[in-house]
Amino acid sequence: MTTISSNSTSAFYTTASQQLSSLQQEVTQVDNSISSGNQYTDAAQNPEAAAEMRMLQLQGTQASADTASANKASANLQLADSTMTSMINDINQARSLATQAASGTVNDKQRAAIGDQITQIQQDLLSLANTRDANGNALFGGGVSGNAYSLDANGNATYQGAATAPTLPIGGGQSVATSVTGPELLNMTDANGNSTNLIDALGSLASALKAGGSAAQTAASTALTSLANGLDAVTTAQTVVGSRESWLSLNTQNQTAAATARATEESHIGDTDVSSAAIKLQQLTTALQASQACFVRVSSLSLFNVIGN
Amino acid sequence: MTSNLMSIAASGAMAAEVALDITGQNIANATTQGYVRRSANDVEVASASTWSTANDVSLSGVTVSGVVRNADPFLQTEARNTASNTASASASVAGLTDVETAVEDSGLFNAIGTFQNSLTTLAQNPANSSARAAVLQSGQAMASAFQIAGQGLAATQSGLQGQITNGVTQINTLATQLATINIQLSATAGGVSANANITTSDRASLMDQRDSLLDQIGQFANIATTTQPDGSVNVNIGGVSGPPLVSGTTTNTLSSTTNADGTVSLTMGKAAVTLGGGSIAGQQSALASLGTTSSDLDALATSIATTVNTQQAQGADLNGKTGAALFAGTGAANLTMTTTSPSAIATAAAGSAAGSTDATNLTALTTALTNLDPAGTMNNLLTSVSGQVQTATTTQTTLQTLSSAAAASLSAQSGVDLNAEAVNLVQFQQAFQASGKVMQTANDVFTAIYNLTGA
Repeated sequence: MTTISSNSTSAFYTTASQQLSSLQQEVTQVDNSISSGNQYTDAAQNPEAAAEMRMLQLQGTQASADTASANKASANLQLADSTMTSMINDINQARSLATQAASGTVNDKQRAAIGDQITQIQQDLLSLANTRDANGNALFGGGVSGNAYSLDANGNATYQGAATAPTLPIGGGQSVATSVTGPELLNMTDANGNSTNLIDALGSLASALKAGGSAAQTAASTALTSLANGLDAVTTAQTVVGSRESWLSLNTQNQTAAATARATEESHIGDTDVSSAAIKLQQLTTALQASQACFVRVSSLSLFNVIGN
Repeated sequence: MTSNLMSIAASGAMAAEVALDITGQNIANATTQGYVRRSANDVEVASASTWSTANDVSLSGVTVSGVVRNADPFLQTEARNTASNTASASASVAGLTDVETAVEDSGLFNAIGTFQNSLTTLAQNPANSSARAAVLQSGQAMASAFQIAGQGLAATQSGLQGQITNGVTQINTLATQLATINIQLSATAGGVSANANITTSDRASLMDQRDSLLDQIGQFANIATTTQPDGSVNVNIGGVSGPPLVSGTTTNTLSSTTNADGTVSLTMGKAAVTLGGGSIAGQQSALASLGTTSSDLDALATSIATTVNTQQAQGADLNGKTGAALFAGTGAANLTMTTTSPSAIATAAAGSAAGSTDATNLTALTTALTNLDPAGTMNNLLTSVSGQVQTATTTQTTLQTLSSAAAASLSAQSGVDLNAEAVNLVQFQQAFQASGKVMQTANDVFTAIYNLTGA
């Protein structure tokens, strides 16, 4: 503020009013920043800080969309994981049935009964392969609507899903495949080295067992090898899914850490330092009160009060 | 000799009375804007007389030769010029703040972020109609925000243009009034004293009016003034090298033209006028900055629309058809969404069947928008605008300090000090009383002599 040593009455009043109103303005500004908790009330007070705040807030909202994506991916992967566990249980059950059927002590009738159970397991495995994801699409069908597998007229399983599993961006330029496709999960080689899939392998085992005879026993013993291969395929896929899940949880931890860092940064840039602001307020109010008192004293000093009475 | 003493006393009493009148006038006008403190210019009167030799005693009392107007032309010019600069900075801050408000309060930055986020969310479930509807809603909100910002800028622009036109009208009116004052000052210039400050009380108040008019013109535009010996003043607008606005008793008319880009230029006759101060200069600079902001905003709106529309055309919508353009418009103020159907968003790769959950094209769109970085561009735009407000505010504060100092100096030099006037009041009252006493003494002396001779 300008200080002019002046004898002009109007200069005295103008200067006093300027000084008082500028102090008053500063008091109001500090008061605002304390009561709102924001250091700045207007972007023009600090454009750089305002720009940073805007970007931090934008990143915050982007991160929440990315977190939702990560959660969705995580839900699908967990669903795939638990579905595969059910599949492994089915395969193990089929293996113990095949072991029984491979034994010479069971007769054709018993083998046919085992064949019926294997058919049941095949149906179960088919329905597990057609599990729906959180969006109601095929979990192992690359995200297509409808089923991943259907049985043709000969009872052979046909994959009708997409070639790749759907991927979701989960922030920071990262994306994750939310599942595996049917072929990645169920394709295998049988005991003779021919490529097939687990559903068809179970189907042919069931029909061989139902057909009876010595071929049935042979089929059961070769099926043991095939089923072991199938189990390997599913277990491998489960490991892949499991590693994706753990990578996702690591990513989520990173996101949480980044969110905390953002919050700290936002508070650092935009929040009022209450203790220093309170001290400044005290200082300003003291100055304002003193100036007001001073103005009243000085303005009452007039020669007209003492002359001429 | 006694008659001499009587006339000396009478002249003293009259001079004291004039001085008392002037003191009263000063006290009455202590708070009048533009009033310059007056004082009486007393001069001793010496007349030819003879005591023992010619002209050895020449005492004839006192006379008031004129009214002193205690103005300092340098301080006045300084106060006017700094006030002119402050008016320019204040107008610039006001205009830029309006620009900042229009762009920032539209919520455009957040709307752009929300639109991009809605696309991210759609990727989680590309065929979902509510996620698609959310994209349309946020797209609509973003288009509205662009419109609000665009219209806000247009309103600010026409407001600033109106202020300039108004300022030009004011300048022309004030110039006409100044020419009238010039006529009166020239007409009363008869007994102009060598000291320009010693004048008559009529001319003093004409000069107050003259300076007040100059101050008012200076609020709108920076001027250079040349005071003539007769007290009239010539005014050049836009500085010393600018064209003459008032020359003696003639005035030239200032006119304004709005250009195609929204800026306003000033002309006087055929000469272009460039202002360096005054509110019009500030408004002109705010308009220039508004033009840049406005075209940046238009470019941003167009780039978003182009990116989205181009990517749409490369994919298939939910009905299996090639995606149609989502946005229409050529700038911020007329950006609109062309569809209300959620299925119109082309998320799948070209040639996909209806109802496809493929997100290839959506991912490509998200990537294209991320590369375009409209939020970053918007953030830079906002930072630039608020940076300009900050710079202008700092300049304004500095200039305000300078002009307050100049105004205070001027006021200290030419303003009325009531305490000094109180002293004057007492002093001139005593002078009047003393002159009365002298008259009484003259009377006593005369009576004593009369008694001697007339006995």
